[in-house]
Amino acid sequence: MIHQLPVVLFLLPLFAAISMPVVCLKHRHWSQPISMAILSAMVLVSILNLLYVIEHGEMRYVFGGWAAPFGIEWVADGLASVIMVVLSALGLLGVVFTVSTVPKDLGGRIVHYYTLVLLLISAMTGIVFAGDLFNLFVFLEVAAISSYALIGLAGGRALFAAFRYLVLGTLGASLYLLGVSYLYAVSGTLNMSDLAVIIPSLLSSKALVGGLLFMFIGLGIKMALVPFHSWMPEAYSYAPESVSPILASLVTKVALLAWIRVIYWVFNASIVIYNIPILLLVEVLGALAAIIGASLALAQKDIKMMFAYGGISHIGIILIGIGQGNATGFAGGIFYLLNDAVMQAALFFLAGVAFCQYGVRTVEDIGRVGKHAPWLTGSLIVVAMGMIGLPPTGGFFGKWYIILGALDAGNYVSVAAVLLSTLLTLAYFVKLFEGIFRKTSTPSDIPSSEIPFSFKLTLGITSAAVVILGLLSAPIVELLLSRTLPPGL
Amino acid sequence: MADAILAVFQRPNFLVFVIIFLWGFYIMVTRYNLVKKLIGMYLVQTSVIFFLVSISAKRGATVPVLVSTTEPVQAASYANPLPHVLTLTAIVVGVATTGVGLALCAAIYRRYGSLDEQKILEKLE
Repeated sequence: MIHQLPVVLFLLPLFAAISMPVVCLKHRHWSQPISMAILSAMVLVSILNLLYVIEHGEMRYVFGGWAAPFGIEWVADGLASVIMVVLSALGLLGVVFTVSTVPKDLGGRIVHYYTLVLLLISAMTGIVFAGDLFNLFVFLEVAAISSYALIGLAGGRALFAAFRYLVLGTLGASLYLLGVSYLYAVSGTLNMSDLAVIIPSLLSSKALVGGLLFMFIGLGIKMALVPFHSWMPEAYSYAPESVSPILASLVTKVALLAWIRVIYWVFNASIVIYNIPILLLVEVLGALAAIIGASLALAQKDIKMMFAYGGISHIGIILIGIGQGNATGFAGGIFYLLNDAVMQAALFFLAGVAFCQYGVRTVEDIGRVGKHAPWLTGSLIVVAMGMIGLPPTGGFFGKWYIILGALDAGNYVSVAAVLLSTLLTLAYFVKLFEGIFRKTSTPSDIPSSEIPFSFKLTLGITSAAVVILGLLSAPIVELLLSRTLPPGL
Repeated sequence: MADAILAVFQRPNFLVFVIIFLWGFYIMVTRYNLVKKLIGMYLVQTSVIFFLVSISAKRGATVPVLVSTTEPVQAASYANPLPHVLTLTAIVVGVATTGVGLALCAAIYRRYGSLDEQKILEKLE
């Protein structure tokens, strides 16, 4: 029974998503409690799964009893199980948050919303566990299609942003599929662990290099890496308030996870292609993303836009950690990924509360909220500490381990890039806080009404999680170091 | 250089793939009409599917159905079935994406009364 856990994790939201339109045909308001119950069950199952994996090592689930190179397998190793806990917990929080936003945001489309969210979460489960490059493609596309539909759900400006995302995202998926077919053409297998065995003997093949590059570009578009990021801020900031937290915290992170899998588990990270080590490529792209994303964030006026660009810069910081090629850097990168998922969710929850409760969208307007919104300001301060990387938040320890890894590798440019992006992050949060605490000449016209319980709950839990992740950083990084490291490190 | 060009013509399937891919990409980038963009996108997807199918072909091979179950399997005499199966899935994914794209186009048309990217951008300002 315990070996079925990864599949149970996938099937729970999938069945719920499929049956949702039927079950909630007459009673629309059942969709909320049903999806909350399903996601709470997912949280429990994913924690069980993690405990089992920590105890007994990785689990391989073979579909239909066909052994690995011929059949399809799912791999629940340490990394996948850790990410799965964060994914299901943030999915649950995202749905709790929507209790007060969905009626305002989406009106009659409440059933569609929950169907798509559950489908998105089940597809992301598939991406996390897939042990097969083609399965990964299918789940990436299912997740992408649900997110296009989710972004366009509210209509208006979001429609056009969703269309752009669709065109670029499909181009990315096609390039990824092209890379996969190159790899299949040279190696004759799609299974990740099988490929990892075959690839070292194929290093002179040009098709292999081409395949690797196409997969990189394809997944790079999916995770909004810097030269390919243009769809992301628009799509996430025009998306309905109930949608953007889930998208921003999970979708790009899961695509990044797929990238990490391809680099470390399929290709050996130490591979040198035409005298260029691929890790150097990862590092340089990461450094560029970290600095460019943060500087673009500084230039934004819209709060959600600013946070979306902040997310781009943080993807870069994670890549810097991953690209160091040593255990400390890798564990730091993964730890920062967990933190960033939580912080992005928190930031978009904040932006959602600011808009739904107080009608505030821009940095200038936020001054009007000021002292009337203790929950908003308080949690913004905590999350900002995490984003900038001040102790005792998780952001600080993530950056700390990444910098330690970079120093180990003797890579001072990476250290400089992390520090520079930290300064830029500080700068745009200072801009935000200046907006909040400035003495505004216009008297506040915002009714100081009580904010709904679901807002308090999500803001409280995410801010607490940012701090708790920092306080527990030592055991978590210990766990990551012992259970999630890829084979070559 | 001449060798390289000759080598390209040795693989006509690759050449066709590159032409369809670039054609689709060109349409995606240059056209302002959103439906035309979708058509370009569909061409890009189709080109990749074409490439995937073409790598499974073998000269002198037949459909992958075993003639006899007692003799050992001669892999060289059967076309590779796996890319065809993958292709089916990829086609379904492509159709679903195009469907969502067309639905978005319809919603955009209802909202902005136009499918021209520039006109929509003007209205968005």
